[in-house]
Amino acid sequence: MSESTGVAQRRVCVIGLGNVFLGDDGFGCLAVEVLCREYDCGPHVEVVDLGAPGLDLAPYLFGRDLVVLVDAVNVDGEPGTVQAYRESDLVHSHAQLRLTDHDPGLQESLARLRLVGRAPAELIVIGVIPESCNFGERISPIVLRATSMAVEKLVRLLQARGFDCRKRSQPGQADASPVLSQLWRGSTPETARSFHAWRHGDLRR
Amino acid sequence: MAKRVTIDPVTRIEGHLRIDVEVDSGSVQKAWACCTMWRGIETILRGRDPREGWVFAQRFCGVCTTVHAMASVRAVEDALHLEIPANAQYIRNLILIAHALHDHIVHFYHLSALDWVDITTIPKADSARAASLADGISSWPGNSHRELELVQDKVKGLVASGQLGIFAHGYWGHPAMRLSPEMNLLLFAHYLQALEFQRKSNQIVGILGGKTPHIQNLAVGGVMNAINLNSLATMNMDRLEMLKSLFQDVVPFVQQAYFVDACLLAGSYPEWFKYGRGVANYLAVPDLPLDAQATKFDLPGGLIMNGNLASVRPIPDWHDKPIRAAVAEDVTHAWYQGNGALKPWKGKTDPDYTDFQPEGKYSWVKAPRYDGSPMQVGPLSNILVGYATGHAATRKWTDAALERISSVHGSRVPVEDLQSTMGRYVSRAIRSAMLSDVGVKHCQLLTENILRGDAATYNPPQFPQQEVEGVGLHEAPRGTLSHWVVIEKGVFSNYQAVVPTTWNASPRDEKDIPGPYESSLLGNPVADPSKPLEVLRTVHSFDPCMACACHTLDARGREIAQVKVL
Repeated sequence: MSESTGVAQRRVCVIGLGNVFLGDDGFGCLAVEVLCREYDCGPHVEVVDLGAPGLDLAPYLFGRDLVVLVDAVNVDGEPGTVQAYRESDLVHSHAQLRLTDHDPGLQESLARLRLVGRAPAELIVIGVIPESCNFGERISPIVLRATSMAVEKLVRLLQARGFDCRKRSQPGQADASPVLSQLWRGSTPETARSFHAWRHGDLRR
Repeated sequence: MAKRVTIDPVTRIEGHLRIDVEVDSGSVQKAWACCTMWRGIETILRGRDPREGWVFAQRFCGVCTTVHAMASVRAVEDALHLEIPANAQYIRNLILIAHALHDHIVHFYHLSALDWVDITTIPKADSARAASLADGISSWPGNSHRELELVQDKVKGLVASGQLGIFAHGYWGHPAMRLSPEMNLLLFAHYLQALEFQRKSNQIVGILGGKTPHIQNLAVGGVMNAINLNSLATMNMDRLEMLKSLFQDVVPFVQQAYFVDACLLAGSYPEWFKYGRGVANYLAVPDLPLDAQATKFDLPGGLIMNGNLASVRPIPDWHDKPIRAAVAEDVTHAWYQGNGALKPWKGKTDPDYTDFQPEGKYSWVKAPRYDGSPMQVGPLSNILVGYATGHAATRKWTDAALERISSVHGSRVPVEDLQSTMGRYVSRAIRSAMLSDVGVKHCQLLTENILRGDAATYNPPQFPQQEVEGVGLHEAPRGTLSHWVVIEKGVFSNYQAVVPTTWNASPRDEKDIPGPYESSLLGNPVADPSKPLEVLRTVHSFDPCMACACHTLDARGREIAQVKVL
């Protein structure tokens, strides 16, 4: 198939997964947001918050050198523990390690990509053990504290593979986009105001 | 002796759905659709600023994020009587078209084809014959003998390894699987090729939306895309050309692979035009507005009752009064407090879980009704309404599909037969073929409007102090979507989403009338109750997506469906 048109694809994709309304399940979305704000990961690394994409995960895995998924994982252990897993860990100890919610999409997307020969060359999961994933909850303090640890792990991992991640002197804007998980997490009149001021200026003066 | 079969969860859908059927003498006598997840996101939106509602609403679902963002801003704009610039309409339309194409392609190949295509027969196929079969019906370049041979080798490797992986749970060798090995090979080749077009449609959404999923370019009052033909950083001629060529790349796959495959499949399984009719009341709303005021649309809206196409009532635009008065949600059989129906603007979401009670409450999905009647929504409604109102593009593509199907089948298939399980698959392909043309057209409309010197994309909203109500309508890939909002003193005082899957997966109502899934299963054949493939065909024909019908996800969901036969 031709790939003549379209946007040039970056070699690495860092993907935050999770449902921001389900407490600690929103960890992945938050962690990639923090990564974008604090680090400039250079021209080869794409960083995206995909939420819970199901089978729509496939286009983001397609043909990459490296994919890093950031998510809450269902494993036994102390809540807030951050751990990196290789793809083989996902396949062989499937019963023990399951990403919350998004797993069926991941396995199916990978299987399809393998059949067309475009599976990512390397896949790593940075997972946190959640304390609680109930509807309408915010991220728990313990998992919130683990976020910076996860971000550092991510940065070291990218640097070890030769991708230049530099700490920003001033916080950057994640994709120049409104910061949903912050808005939801904080959800104070303050954050809501800054969101609108950024987008439209204060329209209700 | 009647047998009770429970499929929980139904796989290859988004979200969790349980289906119970009573099977007697090889066919379904009674059916229940149960959604096993709770819906409660509306409560999060109450008290929030309407300008940020869409940011939250697009997290209703992980898959169709854009449709909820769109319905949300349209609802607020409707409440404020706020018009948006023509450029904003076109940009929104392009996103909606690209999303719909992506969604329909994924549904046909990845979520439902394996109910009809037995991949374990592919090693037996004669790949040269498969290529010549394709040659006579399609100009798609991905059908070459070489390409098909490569796909066959991959499947041979997979089958020989004994590790079918994600394909291990198919009902392979089921007596209801009847395609030739060559057809199976051809369709599976497109299953693999579809990935490329899933990506391209996604890129269109990304370019315009700034990001996908969860687009960032919307605003109540328009879009935030800057237009300046002299700037490299904004929407300029290069960007417009790129969009157009992405759409043009998707067109051949949709029209020469997907559309042709759907007709081939339908002509090969003609008995499925007899099953799965169910609720024959159809609702579609107009979409893809062609002007700033939204007076003309590329997709027609309307209402058909009792399967009678001649009775169609067109819905001319979003100001349509009857639809605002007619929609209500009944909770008699749903796990919410109370009985009977409420209008969405007065709607409540107070849970009352009772366990699965077939004669009582049994689902988290409410039962939406139109003047008291259940309605079917989705591409089939879209196509029937277009056909009945004489919409030229619908007629062209529907007639072309029926002709292809009839020639495979060997006898004439009339348009009325689309009211069936197979009709829903075919209608989705017809809609896609049509949308792929419309996508190129809207790129053109946007470019021409910009070249006329119009760069406007946004009109600022003004919020009154008094209470105002609005509804945002969108004809989403799975059917009519409506967000109903009440705004008071600049914040939401109520928010209700009536989503396509709520219409289709609706439980029984006050009068005990079942919803579309439930009634479409009646009379459905079931050759082997322990392998209810035929039930899945009908359920999958609706493209269920429970994630937004019932909003929360089961955080520790089970993976593999259990089929329990009692």
